[in-house]
Amino acid sequence: MIDLEKAITSLAINNVKYVIVGGVAITLHSSGYITRDLDFCYARDKENIKRLVMALSAFSPKPRNWDKALPFIFDEGTLRNGTNFTFETSIGDIDLLGEVKGIGDYEDALANSVSYSLYGTTVRAFTLDALIISKIAADRPKDHLVLPELEALKEALDPNTD
Amino acid sequence: MKRTPEEKLLNPLPGSKIAAARDFGIDLTLTVSQLRLTPQQRIDNLQAAMKFLAELDRARETGPIKKVK
Repeated sequence: MIDLEKAITSLAINNVKYVIVGGVAITLHSSGYITRDLDFCYARDKENIKRLVMALSAFSPKPRNWDKALPFIFDEGTLRNGTNFTFETSIGDIDLLGEVKGIGDYEDALANSVSYSLYGTTVRAFTLDALIISKIAADRPKDHLVLPELEALKEALDPNTD
Repeated sequence: MKRTPEEKLLNPLPGSKIAAARDFGIDLTLTVSQLRLTPQQRIDNLQAAMKFLAELDRARETGPIKKVK
């Protein structure tokens, strides 16, 4: 289980550039789907990676299913050497995505996002359209389970349909 | 007159995406309940649901409590 308040507050305090893209974004759009982690797309420029490391280091991130006998260093070099990461942390599971299937990198994610106010901060999260596109592109069984509700919400919120 | 999102979700037109979601098994009354909340309330409810699921995980790991005679 992810402690969303701690994660989002720390990302805000450290001015990390990110867009919420997964189940939390789905909830923001009024779906009843329940996720257990926080997925976000982050900007991969040097400064933002530095901020991201500052924001998350206190939560001791390690790759999920990492052999605990092996050391793992969460630093700027680690993040620069990869793109997408699935971490377990002391506040829950956090997935960092440098790229999102069907959408692209952070700049693309930002262009396909909307603002929400959470825990006294402003966050960006995928639009309903972007969520639908990314779920179709991801094409995993769990993505197909949420698509019908997302498409229903899109239709319900469209002022041009009845 | 156009129907509201709630009206569309609760009484979907045949052949619509909303009807497809209902037929897929989505409980659209829950979706309507979510629509009535603020984004912060939706996230607070999600966090509460996560806590409950974590508690269920712990209960499953422990197993059922045996009755003491």
